[in-house]
Amino acid sequence: MSFQQKNIAVSLANFSLILGIFLIRVFQMIQEGSFNSTNVFRLWGIVIALAVLVTIFATILTHIVSAIIQAIKTGEENPKIEDIEDERDKLIDLRGTRVTYFVSSIGVFLSMLTFALGKPPLVMFTLLIFFGIVAQITGDISRLYLYRRGT
Amino acid sequence: MVKNRIRNNIRKLRFFQDEMTQQQLAEKVGVTRQTIIAIEQEKYAPSLELAFRIARVFDVPLEEVFSYETENQAK
Repeated sequence: MSFQQKNIAVSLANFSLILGIFLIRVFQMIQEGSFNSTNVFRLWGIVIALAVLVTIFATILTHIVSAIIQAIKTGEENPKIEDIEDERDKLIDLRGTRVTYFVSSIGVFLSMLTFALGKPPLVMFTLLIFFGIVAQITGDISRLYLYRRGT
Repeated sequence: MVKNRIRNNIRKLRFFQDEMTQQQLAEKVGVTRQTIIAIEQEKYAPSLELAFRIARVFDVPLEEVFSYETENQAK
């Protein structure tokens, strides 16, 4: 597994975790009857902050772990990690981004549709962030699939 | 789905170049080993620039490394 693949796998795990936390919190709010604007926007903030922080930490951690594994394998003090991004990596990344955009576009449309059908704006905002995370996960899955397939 | 019809002799050329490893070739042309594997297995068609760089490593013309298979030849 290349460094890029490891990074994508870690990102996939992170966003799956964030999605899990988000869904649990939404269902809790619905059950408790505390599905109001204050809680929903707080959840928005938590999810976005988590996504940014966890992504940064995970990237650093992947780099460190890869270096340790490489050092154990080769016995070198300063191991070389193959973290260059070549034309194939860029192509796969672009295709994955296209999938992410496609899913998020559908998500935005469906979210707006609920608003147009008379549902409260909170539903629209909750769906927007939900589809944002789902789009990221779908993009990561498609990138991993493309790496397995070749391109 | 349109199948990749770009064939290559990289494996053979590597063998005749003192059994050059995929990693060595990857380092010489500035890509990852995974990309060389994908090209050798004909799962990925490289850019024209990368194709020229690979040919230059083996010191042969581009046509000796890559060939394009037409519909009739494929059947």
